[in-house]
Amino acid sequence: MEKVIIIRYAEIHLKGKNRGYFERVFGVNLERALKGIRHELHRTSGRYLVANFDEEKTEEICGRVSRVFGVHSYSVGLCVPYDLDSVYEAAKEVCPREGTFKVETHRADKKYPMTSMELNAHIGGRLLDDFPALRVDVHTPAHTVCLDIRENGTALVFGKFEKGAGGMPVGTSGKGLLLISGGIDSPVAGYMMAKRGMNVELLHFHSYPYTNDGAKEKVKELARLLSRYSVSAKLITLNVAHIQEQIHAKCAAELNVTLLRRFMFRLAEKTAKEMGAKCLITGESLGQVASQTIEGITSSNAVVTLPVLRPLIGFDKDEIVLVAKKIGTFETSVLPYEDCCTVFLPDFPAIKPKLSFVEEEEKKLDVEALMREALESREVFSL
Amino acid sequence: MIYLDNAATTAPDGEALARAVQFAEQNYLNPSALYGGEVFSALSSARESLLSKIADPAQFALVFTSGGTEADNQAIQTCGRRNVVLSAGEHAAVYEAGVHLKNGGTELRLAPLERDGSVKADALLSLVDEKTSLVSVVHVNNETGAVNDIFTLAREVKKKNPRCVFHSDGVQAFGKLPVRLSPDVDLYSVSAHKIGGIKGVGALYKRKNFALQPLLCGGGQEGNLRSGTENVLGILDFAFAAEKKFASLETDLSRLKELRALLLGGLDKDVFTLISPENGSPYLLTVSARGLRGEILQRLIMERGVIVGTGSACSSKKPHSRVIEACGYGKDVLDGVLRLSFSPHTTREEVAFAAHALNDSAHELKARIG
Repeated sequence: MEKVIIIRYAEIHLKGKNRGYFERVFGVNLERALKGIRHELHRTSGRYLVANFDEEKTEEICGRVSRVFGVHSYSVGLCVPYDLDSVYEAAKEVCPREGTFKVETHRADKKYPMTSMELNAHIGGRLLDDFPALRVDVHTPAHTVCLDIRENGTALVFGKFEKGAGGMPVGTSGKGLLLISGGIDSPVAGYMMAKRGMNVELLHFHSYPYTNDGAKEKVKELARLLSRYSVSAKLITLNVAHIQEQIHAKCAAELNVTLLRRFMFRLAEKTAKEMGAKCLITGESLGQVASQTIEGITSSNAVVTLPVLRPLIGFDKDEIVLVAKKIGTFETSVLPYEDCCTVFLPDFPAIKPKLSFVEEEEKKLDVEALMREALESREVFSL
Repeated sequence: MIYLDNAATTAPDGEALARAVQFAEQNYLNPSALYGGEVFSALSSARESLLSKIADPAQFALVFTSGGTEADNQAIQTCGRRNVVLSAGEHAAVYEAGVHLKNGGTELRLAPLERDGSVKADALLSLVDEKTSLVSVVHVNNETGAVNDIFTLAREVKKKNPRCVFHSDGVQAFGKLPVRLSPDVDLYSVSAHKIGGIKGVGALYKRKNFALQPLLCGGGQEGNLRSGTENVLGILDFAFAAEKKFASLETDLSRLKELRALLLGGLDKDVFTLISPENGSPYLLTVSARGLRGEILQRLIMERGVIVGTGSACSSKKPHSRVIEACGYGKDVLDGVLRLSFSPHTTREEVAFAAHALNDSAHELKARIG
């Protein structure tokens, strides 16, 4: 009788001929998540099994597995030979001693000599004989003893399904570059794209000396938290202070943010293309701030050719906060460091910037030179 | 790096620390244990030494605490009832303790400040009535260096209401200015790490007959006024550091007066506005780079090798310094506040260099943001 962790896929089973590819990437991601813990990872049909691990590491393994995208659910259970006595011994281990229960069998091996119903009745009956305080309730049982009869002569016996992170294995949906600030939204946006299988790289714009190192440290911490969800553990930063100064000095004040965002998008696209990323990702939510109106978005999009994914565009703030809390980035995001200095914030930013006016104002700047300078300020942090 | 934020904390005195460490390593017994006599007497000597520095040991006693903040909190929280009068220039440890009392139903009265950060004496006295339980006035304002005449104030307060407790936060005065506590002052808070001691030690001086209440209860240490095993290392270090600091108090004072004037003289008058009073503590000089942001300036100055303090943060969410605001300054001054504070180790060369660094940084920032 061996303790195992049974991992079930999310949407991979929907993939036809590409299924093998998705399963392989999923396996690699699981191995990466379990790095540093002694274990064996076995692939069986429609499942991965973690076996041969130290029992005291069970909780840690479950925690790490629960954050791997592509995991639909997982269970801690027992792997035994599929003869009736062995299955029953395992069922005794996972079944509570009192309360309502039912036995539920799934047979991958259709040649097994008993049907699922017969197995349910047999194992259930023996459990009732041995534990008189148990009662059967097939509709709303407090506990379910699950029997999974596999084709290789083994049975998996477990009691509970734990929900996994869902989504697709990271790496199966290409690479994107997340524009990460120190706020609540962008880490959530990165999480959501990683969940859909995207390899998410991180780019942060700072404005030293107008912003301080505390802000940068905060973003590093956010990146570290996101790396638990297979988001890149590398953070690229660029300094846009001089760009802000030039905009502030030469352009209409109400366009400060609009113009800065156009520079950020250009710089991000350049960085993305260098690293082979196929899109930009932002945490924008429609109408949340002045620059996130459809006009603001249009103005930013106009300077790039890569698609810009905005997974939070239709989210309310409280919906974003809920996810941020769930993934553990909220507490860090609300630490009091500013990612933008108020020196450059106009009293009345343009809510609906007209593209022609924006482009006219931008002509006052040496865009190429400012871009070059910002790109030269590049720093890369491994977290 | 030239360090000019000594009012925040200053370098520990190595010699004092070594002596304290040596004693603490060899004498690790609990001073309150029956067998801990030697440690207990070392603590007693430290207590007597610190007491005699600013008070008559016949009239005053001393309770060791974990620092200035705890000393202030013990004074404010245990003495405040009905109504409490604070100067608007109090350190956060006093002010927030007052707000805490206010949240519990005590009336909090704030006495307004002069332009230099000292309290308006008449206004303060007018707030005191027969129901006032406590008055607290900072001795040296930690943000402007203004020195309040706490002894006159204490006498006047007692004249008006003899039962009213008078407390003063002396953290920026202790070991820096000549102080002799008068019996009108009931409580006086001090801290070790501002004068070469290590962090985590302070003391509350109390008038001997004054019935102080504990903030922390437990094993009954410090005459039942501050429970918790005594920080032997920190307390001895505090006493050793104070011994040295007080020995050179007068010479430090006259030297720093000169350095402060030198720095002030070296600053570009078109950029920097003086906030500190001319006759304020020689240990501290507060200026404002009008129209610029103190926090940004601080970083540029640091790039030039000088660490200074700041009075504001580059953030729309953080308010300006509560104290400088209470001095009556507008936003353009509040934004640009810088606090320069010295130690006896600060040199003429450092101060001259710092003046250049400040000027150059301010000019650079002006040029960058127009």
